[in-house]
Amino acid sequence: MTQERDFAAFIDDRPEEGIFRVDRSVYNDPAVLEAEYQTIFEGGWIFLCHETHIPNPGDYFTTWLGRQPVFVVRGADGSVNGFLNACGHRGAMLLTYRVGNAKTFDCPYHGFCFNDKGDCISVRSKRTGWPDEFDIGRFDLAPIARIDSYRGLIFGSLAPDVPELRDYLGAATALLDIFVAPVPQPLEIVPGYCVYVSNCNWKVMHENGPDAYHAPVVHRNFADTIAFRESRGSFEGVNKTERGRLTARIESASYDLGNGHTAFWNERTTPEAYPIYAHRDELAKRFSPGQLDWILGRGRHMTIFPNLLLNDLASSHLRTYRPLSVDRTETIIWCIAPVGEPAEMRAARLRKFEDFFLPSGMATPDDIAIVEAAQRASWALESRWTDMGRGSDPAFRIDGPDQAARELGFTPKVSSTSWDHEITLQGVYRHWLSRITRNGEARHG
Amino acid sequence: MADLALQAEVSELLFREARLLDAQRWTDWLELYCEDAVFWVPAFTMAGGYTEQPEQELNFIYMAGRSGLEERVFRLNTGISLSSTPLPRTRHMVGMVMVDGQNGDAVQAFANCQVATFTEIRGQQFRTSSYEYLLRRSGGGLRIAQKKVLLLEAVIDGYFDFYAI
Ligand code: FES
Ligand SMILES: [Fe+2]
Repeated sequence: MTQERDFAAFIDDRPEEGIFRVDRSVYNDPAVLEAEYQTIFEGGWIFLCHETHIPNPGDYFTTWLGRQPVFVVRGADGSVNGFLNACGHRGAMLLTYRVGNAKTFDCPYHGFCFNDKGDCISVRSKRTGWPDEFDIGRFDLAPIARIDSYRGLIFGSLAPDVPELRDYLGAATALLDIFVAPVPQPLEIVPGYCVYVSNCNWKVMHENGPDAYHAPVVHRNFADTIAFRESRGSFEGVNKTERGRLTARIESASYDLGNGHTAFWNERTTPEAYPIYAHRDELAKRFSPGQLDWILGRGRHMTIFPNLLLNDLASSHLRTYRPLSVDRTETIIWCIAPVGEPAEMRAARLRKFEDFFLPSGMATPDDIAIVEAAQRASWALESRWTDMGRGSDPAFRIDGPDQAARELGFTPKVSSTSWDHEITLQGVYRHWLSRITRNGEARHG
Repeated sequence: MADLALQAEVSELLFREARLLDAQRWTDWLELYCEDAVFWVPAFTMAGGYTEQPEQELNFIYMAGRSGLEERVFRLNTGISLSSTPLPRTRHMVGMVMVDGQNGDAVQAFANCQVATFTEIRGQQFRTSSYEYLLRRSGGGLRIAQKKVLLLEAVIDGYFDFYAI
């Protein structure tokens, strides 16, 4: 069903006029999704899992690259390998659990056996039915063409001709360093996770991340609820949830990082409520005042195209999503925190996470409700354009780094004077277009 | 030999809670909970079990103290939470109520529950769980000291709050 589409016509991008609009049929046209599977989800770097999901030899993690089932396994030598999760014999799915540990992988269908390098190491009844000397290497598992990691985040690509992961992440690496490095301990995935399925296109979900414009509207009730909590005086110190960003005008900025990656920050109105604030003296020895501003003074949010969201706001989390169909998206979410974090801080981080982020929280359900509403209304095709022009005006945008970006040492494509401008989404869709038209900066440098 | 009077008393409390939730009578419902009550919905672990240590592991909901439930009721009443406006209609079907133990003023109980939720947008949805209660006798009657809800559904379709599980 690869009907021809003029993908370029889906984006109305006229920078000199401050116009940036996206045709809403990108959210419901199956031909668009087909192109996305081929060129994005099965054709470039995709976030797979975190290193602490597979700490020990034999630990595996199953997931999907677009439509294709895959798994990642920690080899006996500590390396990270990845394969299609399909037996080399007649293609049964090899691993059915999300995570596990195995010395060898035995196919549940006819019992062929594979090692952590994907080699087929035994077939059943090899002496009969097969030639005397035959090479069982023909059953080896197909590898994920490229696997690499940055700061504990493991990515894979089914396409071999992609740039180095570090180059693909580009300007985002400086922010990933800050996300991951501020405390002496590395980060770990906190036990427990959540998977939820929403009735929307993956891009509607993806847009909701960099979109801070909605927060004071959609999450006003959350801020009011936290204010109600505080009026009763029951939460102090690290247990206090920041609500300043939802109710007050605060200093902030956002960035188009290139390759579809985005970031924004906002000043923390109550930095003492931030779990790692207690480390400030120690941090001051290791980081410059400019960097320390980033670490302690700014809530940070970033997205890596196309399927990773990280933020360190009231709590800290990793989120990944994948399209199930044009209007169904699966999201997986984890809390991420420093190894060995003091018990009181860990508990506070978890409670704040549960307050906001889950489909059972007091904010994420409202995000899901609004993205599903946007999806349903994407069929209003007589109202063709989704407008993402806010912040295009030269008064609000800087080509290249602003002062804060220079202090941290990264070079975004565009900086914006506010976290709730839409230049981030413009970056996402310019990159998206370059990918589905197969002349992307990511694939060909 | 089962204590039939206690069995009846526990069942009545669990049915009453379900009925008050379905009637959206939040104030009366909150009255069933002790001031220090814990409301706990563990998350799943990637290995397929439930998280067990709420101070160190993620949960769908973990609130120590009735104030957490009061905050959630406050949020529903703001009228500006998209996911709760209009409020989904619910019908709880509580069954298999069993008294698991009794120790002085404390009673442990178990039940299964299926909740049908209806909204115009999502239609009818079902969520199934097990309930593990700790009940406490005070002033003659039983009140809820802890409610632990073990969800059946590991992949959440949509979203939910305390009244829909
Ligand atoms: S399909 Fe795996 S052994 Fe036959
Ligand atoms: Fe939101």
